[in-house]
Amino acid sequence: MGVSTAPLARSRYAVLARTRGEARATGWLDRHFAFATVSPTVLVSLLVFGLPLAFSLWISLQGWSIQQSLFGSRFVGLQNYSDLFDDPAFVASIGRTFLYTAITVSCELGIGLGLALLLNLDLPFIGIFRTALIVPMMMTPIVAALCWKMLLDPQYGVIDYIIGAPIVWLGHPVLAFVAVAAVNIWQNAPYVGILLLAGLRSLPSEPVEAASIDGAGRWQVFRHVTLPLLRPYIVVALLLRTIFEFRSFDNVYVMTSGGPADATSLLSVYTYVTSFVSFDMSLAAASSWMMLLMALVMCLAFVVMIRRRDAN
Amino acid sequence: MQVSGLTPRQRLCGRIVAYAALVALLLVFLMPLLWVIGLSLKTRPQIFTNPPLLIWWPTFENYARVLTQGEFVTAFFNSLVVSAGAVLVSLAVGVPTAYAFARVRFRGSSFIFFSLLVMRMLPPIAVLVPLYALFNKAGLVNTRSALVIAYTTFSLPLIVWIMRGFFEDLPAELEEAARVDGATRGGAFLRVMLPLARPGLATAAILSLLLAWNDFLFAAVLSSNRTRTLPVLLASYAGADTGVDWGSIAASGVLVVLPVILFSFAVQRHLVTGLSSGAVK
Repeated sequence: MGVSTAPLARSRYAVLARTRGEARATGWLDRHFAFATVSPTVLVSLLVFGLPLAFSLWISLQGWSIQQSLFGSRFVGLQNYSDLFDDPAFVASIGRTFLYTAITVSCELGIGLGLALLLNLDLPFIGIFRTALIVPMMMTPIVAALCWKMLLDPQYGVIDYIIGAPIVWLGHPVLAFVAVAAVNIWQNAPYVGILLLAGLRSLPSEPVEAASIDGAGRWQVFRHVTLPLLRPYIVVALLLRTIFEFRSFDNVYVMTSGGPADATSLLSVYTYVTSFVSFDMSLAAASSWMMLLMALVMCLAFVVMIRRRDAN
Repeated sequence: MQVSGLTPRQRLCGRIVAYAALVALLLVFLMPLLWVIGLSLKTRPQIFTNPPLLIWWPTFENYARVLTQGEFVTAFFNSLVVSAGAVLVSLAVGVPTAYAFARVRFRGSSFIFFSLLVMRMLPPIAVLVPLYALFNKAGLVNTRSALVIAYTTFSLPLIVWIMRGFFEDLPAELEEAARVDGATRGGAFLRVMLPLARPGLATAAILSLLLAWNDFLFAAVLSSNRTRTLPVLLASYAGADTGVDWGSIAASGVLVVLPVILFSFAVQRHLVTGLSSGAVK
């Protein structure tokens, strides 16, 4: 981090300010520069993020409904949380979310690693392929979901035409889960690919060359040299994708609305339906706080990893 | 990976295999969009043929229909206003902060910095539930301001993170020179560093613009028919089961995605850094 020059700059300024005699006019901003520039961001973040989360924690301990005034409800302690864990739909959605996250993230990592290795080859026109991969990953999730919905249509969809059987993908619990996961993998594996490609390209070339000279085969070089060197990037991809798949909502909701028979009702879908379809705001607040706590664990793992790396 | 000791013939074979794999991948990852672009250029009977029509004379009637529909234009305008609003607010608030993170050592800097990262990563549904309740009481539901506020929850941390990286990469000597010449810290930031960081500003702005443009969840809850954004309009097409109009869905989908793709290409060098929250440079 390039912060080490600050004290030096400050002492230089002190001299200048005294000679120019305008220390008081501009001095305050300079002495409190960090405070003056950082506090607006802190204030805005607390207002748009901190305050709502605190309010959410508050209503999760209340029997609050949207018709009531903000503080006109009754304190019920942890009743909402115990209701939540008594709801089989919620408990099932936790397991489903973990399964979904595990499947999508591991497929994205596997496919992404393959993509990265392929795109790292030194071939003419490889740049075109690298650029093209951006398309699915940046595509509006709703549009991606709609595209796939049309492709998977049992009557006029091209996928069932290719397979040659009218499979009702989104009408069958297991198939719908697979389809929804596949669309997410399709959208995000390129991201992992591009991230790992950036990693591959930043690796020093000497270890690979040394290993090849020592007579290691391609697979051995990959397994014992490239992969260990790439590990930090793989960990970043793993954590980031886990954090973002855990909160998946858009394409799942548009493709299936959580159905059929709750088969694709992930935690975010459960929370959405509880709050904005059944309007049980207190229960939804409790459920979103459970999600927050789970996500927080993953975020902290990510932060710890980055800080440890920056310290080295 | 260049392994020596291959005959030219082996090398040629290797290249053919590699290109075959690349083309196959390209097909898997681009076909869905290309197919939908195809659908958008077909008439209604052409869309619903079985087997699917592979060669046809393209028609632009779907685009004409979508673009002459008031609701698409309104939603396009809403998307633009709301995303741009959030990005402008986040730039104004976040860029000076990013500069301070990059250049000034102060107490709590790392705590605040990582809190912003966590803010970007926590599930949006968790903040949407209370935001909806609070906006409902404040009379802000169904307004564009509500969406600007909601989008700030992710565009502000994104911009601070991206811009900190850009400011750190600028040479500190330039700033020191300005300070020696008598510029204040604020002056050095505004007149020296900010103009130098212009490519970074463009990247940060475009990336957060794209995220706001792509959002569905916040807009689905916080907007009405009058203030809804494009993703919400598109989702409403999918929900209506009676006479699903694939031509319109396809054409408007393409219109939504086209600017996203063009802008993504413009910032492609910085996509990884931006989307990995600075974890990869």
